[in-house]
Amino acid sequence: MNRRRAIKVWLSSFAFLAIAAWPQAQSPQAIFEQPALITSAGQSADVQLASVLAKRAELKANLSKLAVGQDLENHKTLMLVLGASLKGLGAAGLDTNKERERIAQLLVEAKKRNIPILCLHLGGDARRGQLTDEMISDYLPFAKLAIVVKSGNKDGLFTKICKEKNIPLVEVEKTTDIVGPLKAAFR
Amino acid sequence: MVVAAHPLAAQAGLDMLKKGGNAVDAAVATAFALNAAEPFASGIGGGGFMVIYLAKEKKVTTLNFREKAPAAAGPTLFADKGEAQEQWRTERGTAVGVPGMLAGWNYALQKYGTKSLSQAAARAIEIAENGFPVSRTFSTINKDEYEKLLKNAGETTCYLNGGVPYEPGDTFKNPELAKTLRLIGSQGIQEFYKGEIAKKIVAAVRAKDGMMTLDDLAAYAPEEMPPLEGTYKDFTIDTVQPPASGGLHIIQLLNVVEDWPLREWGHNSVATIHHLSEAMRFIFADREHYIGDPDYVTMPVPQLLSKDYAREMRNKIFSEKTAGHYPYARFDELLEKKENTTQVCAIDPGGNIVALTQSINDFFGTGIIPEGTGFLLNDHMADFSTDPRSPNAPNPGRRPASSMGPLIMFKKGEPFLALGSPGGTRIFPSLVQIIINIIDFGMPLDEAIEAPRFFSDSAAGRPRPISVESRIPEATLKALEALGHKITIKEDYDKYFGGAQGIMILRDKKIIQGGADSRRDGVGVGY
Repeated sequence: MNRRRAIKVWLSSFAFLAIAAWPQAQSPQAIFEQPALITSAGQSADVQLASVLAKRAELKANLSKLAVGQDLENHKTLMLVLGASLKGLGAAGLDTNKERERIAQLLVEAKKRNIPILCLHLGGDARRGQLTDEMISDYLPFAKLAIVVKSGNKDGLFTKICKEKNIPLVEVEKTTDIVGPLKAAFR
Repeated sequence: MVVAAHPLAAQAGLDMLKKGGNAVDAAVATAFALNAAEPFASGIGGGGFMVIYLAKEKKVTTLNFREKAPAAAGPTLFADKGEAQEQWRTERGTAVGVPGMLAGWNYALQKYGTKSLSQAAARAIEIAENGFPVSRTFSTINKDEYEKLLKNAGETTCYLNGGVPYEPGDTFKNPELAKTLRLIGSQGIQEFYKGEIAKKIVAAVRAKDGMMTLDDLAAYAPEEMPPLEGTYKDFTIDTVQPPASGGLHIIQLLNVVEDWPLREWGHNSVATIHHLSEAMRFIFADREHYIGDPDYVTMPVPQLLSKDYAREMRNKIFSEKTAGHYPYARFDELLEKKENTTQVCAIDPGGNIVALTQSINDFFGTGIIPEGTGFLLNDHMADFSTDPRSPNAPNPGRRPASSMGPLIMFKKGEPFLALGSPGGTRIFPSLVQIIINIIDFGMPLDEAIEAPRFFSDSAAGRPRPISVESRIPEATLKALEALGHKITIKEDYDKYFGGAQGIMILRDKKIIQGGADSRRDGVGVGY
């Protein structure tokens, strides 16, 4: 092997290892167990959509939009749907501070019970805004896996956080495409 | 020219003008097309108001086709529903008012138009059948209302894409609506108010615990009324009467701002936002106390519209701080005067003008669809007060107070501006801001519409925060906080503040300007 070719092989291997070290994959490993508790971070209507998609993925999952720590009882996975909606918060009788308190308490309880977290972002680029982005930055780092609709990651926010925290990231084109990876992520 | 909240709908109106239709024909054709192209914001399951300027007679008239409460509705309809009250007001059958839309369009066409109902509905039928790519606005709203649609319309509804919300670019078709509009076009509106569609409406409403009957639908009739009038500097404003409160409050607020040095203060300056927000809070106190259906409730309309009252209100507003308390106005004598959503404005070559605001209230209304018909039923009963003692409490046959306020402004007797907006309680504050942007700050129409907006109100005498679009500078917001205001920051172009559409006529320059709002999918078309 000549020197130039050796360097190319070496660089390719390095690149492969670097990418392989951050597991971005379209088919995630089955690391979660059922039943899952589905809740919202931000009270957007996407949490209802997550429940529909979980049903299509034939998963045992319970939806609780305002879940608190004790609701984790009898659940083995926490599915956190990232997406803020002032309308949703208003309908739930919450402001952003109260919603943050709820999620913080939920995350503490999940950690105590060793319950892994799966983060979803289903709204695409239409469900990105200051409040949602803050929630993504605050809560995504706790996830063991993130599944997102691709247009919601146009600016690479999910990629950046997942790379930094070594969280596998699955991107799909359309919302309904989430069913496959979601099913594959569960035992 | 036609301006509307969707390009397909605006084009439908323009096509009607090109076929020889007048402004009323064009407005109704656009309104039908909006049902197909912007179904979440209006449709035959709702109601609205129309202002018509007849150029030959130089006369303005208005149509009230606001929904009515069913005969079985009473003041305590929502009062005893406890925590579930909001659902009963917006998502159950009790939320549905007797729709007035078709009756209003039909009346307008028959009396002032030149085309048939079938001709006006033709383009809407094509749009519903052929479909169109969904916009980001449509997709976002579809996602926001997903839960309601799932619950009330079901997973197989055309308002969801295979049971999930539409993404931008997905094709939306509504063949059932096309069939319904075709039937109405051929059989007339009696099919809706007395025929098979009426039976389906009643069945759908009662299946969700509503109380509407066939008699309620059969009894519905729109009302033609003279306009409510006011003045602002050199201009006359003609708008709709209560129960549409928007027009009344537009005139009230303009009366108050008329003597303020707005130009000196500057556009969206601390002083301008502070003073207008304070005035809005006082006006909302009046609204809370006085507004109802004028067929049943006496309102002090002449007093509320008087320049004297405006002066009294100005005297209660301080430059250096908030008033803190906003009581409603008390008048010695109540003189009787009779006299949320999308917007259409149309002008025809003869100079006739229509400003039309119509709605099914919340986006996608109740989410209830009469079987096989494709149209959404309104939740306008939510515009009634939950307080049984309120002048706006639900009662048999009453129309709930509305925030709508389509208007036509005149300068020296000649039409100058047709304007209106959706946006609930933000309608009249947004329209006033557009008007002062044009008249006091010299903006062309489109710039006036696109400029950043703000809103405030009061409840039970207490101020609520000023909501602002994020384009208003931080320094301004800090200065407002220093005066005692709380601030809520919305998006940069937030549909919370409405989606205004307008037509401005500049006679001296022989120009007609169309202004559409990028907060929705608005567009103006002309020839």
